[in-house]
Amino acid sequence: MSQPLTQILVSAAFVLAAAWLAHRQRLGLSRSLLTAAGRAAVQLAVVGALIALVFRVPALAIAFVAVMVLTASLTAGSRIRALPGARRIAIGAIALPALGATGVLLAVGAFAATPRAMIPTAGILIGGAMLATTLTGRRLVEDLIAGVDEIEARLALGDRARDALVPLTRRAIAGALVPLIDQTRSAGLVTLPGTFVGLVLGGASPETAARIQLTVLLTLLLVQLLSALLTAELMTRAATLPGERVRVVTSPEGHRVR
Amino acid sequence: MTGPRSDVNGLAVRGLSVAHGERTVLRDVSFDVPKGTVTALVGPSGAGKSTLLRCLNRLLVPQAGTILLDGEDTAALEPCTLRRRVGLVGQTPVMLPGSVRENLAYGLDTATVTEPRLAQALADAGLDRTFLDRPSGELSGGERARVALARALTREPELLLLDEPTAALDAAASEHIGATLRALARAGLGVMVATHDLPFAATVAEHVLMLRDGTAVVGAPAELLAASPSIPGPQA
Repeated sequence: MSQPLTQILVSAAFVLAAAWLAHRQRLGLSRSLLTAAGRAAVQLAVVGALIALVFRVPALAIAFVAVMVLTASLTAGSRIRALPGARRIAIGAIALPALGATGVLLAVGAFAATPRAMIPTAGILIGGAMLATTLTGRRLVEDLIAGVDEIEARLALGDRARDALVPLTRRAIAGALVPLIDQTRSAGLVTLPGTFVGLVLGGASPETAARIQLTVLLTLLLVQLLSALLTAELMTRAATLPGERVRVVTSPEGHRVR
Repeated sequence: MTGPRSDVNGLAVRGLSVAHGERTVLRDVSFDVPKGTVTALVGPSGAGKSTLLRCLNRLLVPQAGTILLDGEDTAALEPCTLRRRVGLVGQTPVMLPGSVRENLAYGLDTATVTEPRLAQALADAGLDRTFLDRPSGELSGGERARVALARALTREPELLLLDEPTAALDAAASEHIGATLRALARAGLGVMVATHDLPFAATVAEHVLMLRDGTAVVGAPAELLAASPSIPGPQA
């Protein structure tokens, strides 16, 4: 049996085993596991074919990256739709840091300025920026709902609206960076990060894989911090109202102006 | 065009209307809160007492009406300055992180925050100075309510708005707060206190403003409270 066929069959067997186990344990997860696996298979097959096309027609690379940014922004934006302009906030917080860092890495020659290098690099950085935006935004929305008394107490004590939100945004930003900081700290010890695994399986030397993985992880630290900061800043602007007031957010789904 | 005028030394509210979406909460409400007096704000739950207090320091912007402070339209005042002049102690006594001292001095110029000033504010709220270095997270509900009052007093406001200040207090502590508010009014402060505790309102206030179905009736405590022997309190 050829290696590609074996890869597909063994991974399908694993997900069937997971679904069977979930069914036996009555976790109500079997359908979700199978649907997620099916979706991933279709999406990766389509993306694989598309990327093969993009590698042949470099002009398509820009469009491909734009679609990645848009998809990431829709996903992250849905988490902060309690505030007006959520999608715009997400696009700004994801695109600026991720594309900026990709541009720098390619411009200084850290990676070759080819679609083959640009797309994976942009993809990882956009994914990281999306995670930071989602985590910061979701925490901030939760705190805007739960912390309404604290915010009003600070306003009543004479704080400007922006200042009254600072404790909330600091908590949200700090919380958003925890997963990446933990991942970076444990890289190579607890987990072998995806880039490293992919490169080694693809035939790169472990030294090369480690160097590229480190570049990606360290770049992600700045990208995610910038994304979290931008999310907090743009959400602060969306949450403040004229007259040093703060928008009352009553549920993660929506807001109202008092 | 000129808006309503007022010679009242304190707050003068004229034609105030507030709606939350479709629902009218306050309709054409007018009253005064002169400095040197205590006004009780009473009415059933949901009558708009908290909404009204929040309008007075512009945490909430009314759909219609004018609120004058010493004859000056509060809409024209810088909001943060207004909120320092018109203090508000909300229904939930929120403690900020840190000690009681840090809570009292929050946002104030450290040069003006002297130990005697903090101790006096605490004493006015019924707590002794040993509380200054207590972590705010360790206080009981009643102590929090009093620290929140002291924190508002540290700002030396001209008017003080209190939303259910005795809700977390026992009878003795409520009595102390009532005496404090009377003393502060005698010293020139204008006080408006929203409460469902009618005996407390009758003891502490010269004027009573009763909200019902969005409108307000102003009167002396005895006549208004006698006409309304019971008002349902806030939801537990």
